[in-house]
Amino acid sequence: MASKERILVIDDEEVIRDSCTQALAKVGYVVKSAENADKGLELLQSFDPGIVLVDLKMPGKSGIEVLEEIQAIDPNIIKIVITGFATVSSAIDAMKKGAYDFIPKPFTPEEIRVIVARGLERRQLLLESEALRLEQERTRKNMISLVSHEFRAPLAATIQYLEVILGGMAGDISSEAKEMIERCDIRLREMLELLGRWISLAIFDADKLSENFKDINLKDLASESIDVLKSMAEEKNISLILDSPEDLPTIKGNKVSIGEVFNNLISNGIKYNKEGGWVKISLSEADGYISVTVSDNGMGIDNEHLSKIFDEFYRVDGRRNAPVKGSGLGLSIVKKMVNAHGGTIDLESEIGKGSVFKIDFPKVFESDNSDKKEEDR
Amino acid sequence: MAQEKRILIVDDDPDYAAAIEKILKTADYSVSLAGDVKSGMEQIEKEMPGLILLDVMMEKYDDGFNMCYDLKHDDRYKDIPIIIITAVTEVTGLKFNPKTDGEYLEADDYVQKPISADLLLEKVRRFI
Repeated sequence: MASKERILVIDDEEVIRDSCTQALAKVGYVVKSAENADKGLELLQSFDPGIVLVDLKMPGKSGIEVLEEIQAIDPNIIKIVITGFATVSSAIDAMKKGAYDFIPKPFTPEEIRVIVARGLERRQLLLESEALRLEQERTRKNMISLVSHEFRAPLAATIQYLEVILGGMAGDISSEAKEMIERCDIRLREMLELLGRWISLAIFDADKLSENFKDINLKDLASESIDVLKSMAEEKNISLILDSPEDLPTIKGNKVSIGEVFNNLISNGIKYNKEGGWVKISLSEADGYISVTVSDNGMGIDNEHLSKIFDEFYRVDGRRNAPVKGSGLGLSIVKKMVNAHGGTIDLESEIGKGSVFKIDFPKVFESDNSDKKEEDR
Repeated sequence: MAQEKRILIVDDDPDYAAAIEKILKTADYSVSLAGDVKSGMEQIEKEMPGLILLDVMMEKYDDGFNMCYDLKHDDRYKDIPIIIITAVTEVTGLKFNPKTDGEYLEADDYVQKPISADLLLEKVRRFI
């Protein structure tokens, strides 16, 4: 016996509307109908059906357009098309636009009941898998929160104690002990930083980020980042140069993420550079894009690494005693963040000469930009 | 010379609290400790601290957050400066700077664990 599922019928013929309603109400479904696409879509919002039966050929807005609109509103609503001439091509077209199945006129009451029942089974599956996906996501995020706290708290407490000891606040220690404790401090701080980056990567949610995009000024963010890293650069006598027009248009994005992108690239430019070198940030406007280039005259990166440089955990020099320590996570986060803004990032580099990171941000953000871009590459 | 008012540290990590207490005592502050919100409130009711160092995440993830909110909305305690201590910022999504978007705690300042003794003392000195 069918439960009180809600079915919506959109068809310009009264005969079809009535026969569907009768056939389906008979087995307990709640049925409403509309005589055209606009009335049907309006009713959809208030009635909230699980299944919609749509006539392909109607005057005014076509059944195909209705399919597209319903798909955009809620892909979990099952769409079944009613077609007068069951040509293969129109059925296929409908399926491509998200129809689950089609039924050719004329049809018997039993036929419509069977196809609706099948449609409801599919809906059940879709709803269950969506619920599972959301549950999984929530669990993953909870676990990450939990893990992050469980790891960070003891690390923080340990480093804090070392701070007290090294600060001479717990009595004298031998110079030998001091050296070892300093090494402990350095190693633990590296671990804390790595943990922080790993967590950033793990909780990064591009969709959630783009839901809250606001207008951001890339020039301002670049100069803020330069301010933050000024002292780090001064330690190695490295100049940080900003080259940007005054009136660069804003783009839609997330301030914190773009800030992190700049921080990451500029600090890399400082870290992998020699005394007295430079790091230059150039911004420019192109047709449809804003280009950001972060270049330096530092160590450079060998060709063999370039294709993998944005991979998670990839490190150019993975030795434990490497002269410059990197977690291998920074650039993978940068890439994710750039992609989440619909942008692309590329690297050109030459050993001993320096590196150039080039980012292009689209002036207008479209949420499926990044997928398209990645496929094109 | 010892300060008249006390600094109250509310943090469920006894090691972390002990380390911070040492830094503060070395700088001649008097310090009391509380391991959770309940004993923290009891201490505050007994004797008004001059400054509270409050850990954001204790037993329940928003313990510190709620305690800060309660104190700042209580006429008796709203003028006690509060410095939030946290090991996590991005995961809980709490922002402490009223100038950035999003939620913010009405705390007077924040420090991230671990913190250098110099920076901690610099921040504390602004209030007490």
